[in-house]
Amino acid sequence: MFRTIVTTTIFLAIALGGGIASVWYALDSNRSFGSIKIGNWIAYPEAGTPNADPYSVARRARDGELPLGQAEGLRFYAKIDSEGKSLSGRCNYTLEGNVPQARFWTLYAAGPGLAAIRSTAHRNTALHSRQLLRRQDSSFAITIGPDPAPGNWISVSVPGPVVFVLTLYDTQVASAVTSAGHDFPGIVRADCRDG
Amino acid sequence: MARLIYSLLLGLVGAAIVHIAVLLLVPAYSERDAWSRLAAREPEFQLVRMSDDAAGGSFLKGADPLFAAIGCRFNLFEGVTHLRASGELPFWSVSVYDRRGHNIYSFNDRTATDRKLDMVVTTPARMVELRKELPEAYSASVFVETTAQEGMVVVRLFVPDDSWSALVSDFIENMECRRE
Repeated sequence: MFRTIVTTTIFLAIALGGGIASVWYALDSNRSFGSIKIGNWIAYPEAGTPNADPYSVARRARDGELPLGQAEGLRFYAKIDSEGKSLSGRCNYTLEGNVPQARFWTLYAAGPGLAAIRSTAHRNTALHSRQLLRRQDSSFAITIGPDPAPGNWISVSVPGPVVFVLTLYDTQVASAVTSAGHDFPGIVRADCRDG
Repeated sequence: MARLIYSLLLGLVGAAIVHIAVLLLVPAYSERDAWSRLAAREPEFQLVRMSDDAAGGSFLKGADPLFAAIGCRFNLFEGVTHLRASGELPFWSVSVYDRRGHNIYSFNDRTATDRKLDMVVTTPARMVELRKELPEAYSASVFVETTAQEGMVVVRLFVPDDSWSALVSDFIENMECRRE
């Protein structure tokens, strides 16, 4: 009798606890099927469409997200720099290169929950392609970090990890899914502040 | 001992089943999805400003800080939903979502007639009626047919910098989300 109770309890604890915890874990990690990865940047063109996988459907229901439609744009996320280290809100990064064809694009830094980081001081925390200073060959370099920099600078000074979010608006990138041939800026880390 | 291992293995199988069940039930029972958040703010056919500039946070997860977003919930039980707005903005886009947040249709200002936002969401059955004799009021409208009975419309407005905020406010002020 006692053994039956113990084994049943173990079974229930593992089944319910493990099952629920694993769903939560899976929803917190931003991994998803149907993503396209270009360099350090990842996008989920199927998010919000009927083809979306059950994980991204559940995540959207939990987080109240309404993904961009295909005619609106496509959002790319970067969590690591070109050396594979995760991005930190205490470090300065240089984004250099080009961006695929789009009507315009925006770039900002977000916290781990993907909420945009805002500044209390009047500093630029987001940048769009129409205010960008470009080189003669139309490529650009953007500095993101706590230390002011000449040229294009996005001010980010927060402890902990950050995500860079690059959104292409009115773009064909999603339909031309072949990731080859698309130019995305590389992310190179410069010096970091302590703490 | 064998019994313990047996219950452990059975537990793992059970965990897999619970995992799948919970995963599929989250969308149905979530009270934090976009629909519920909108419902907490305003009734249907009332516009809700989704980008809270004052608080610094956003109503919707993952919203672009250079954008203002405004939306309304609609139903198609009794008529069509008509969304209208106009104004000179560098970019705006519209998405229609069903109740669960699936994107049904989206378009942007380049697709619209005269770059005015004029959209009618309707059921296929009413669309047939409308086609027979198109009312004058809908002559410049973009029609979105959907079998979803309830849904949300979200309009996203590009705000390049603060100097545009007056024009964006104008656009939002003359926006209408109506049942007709």
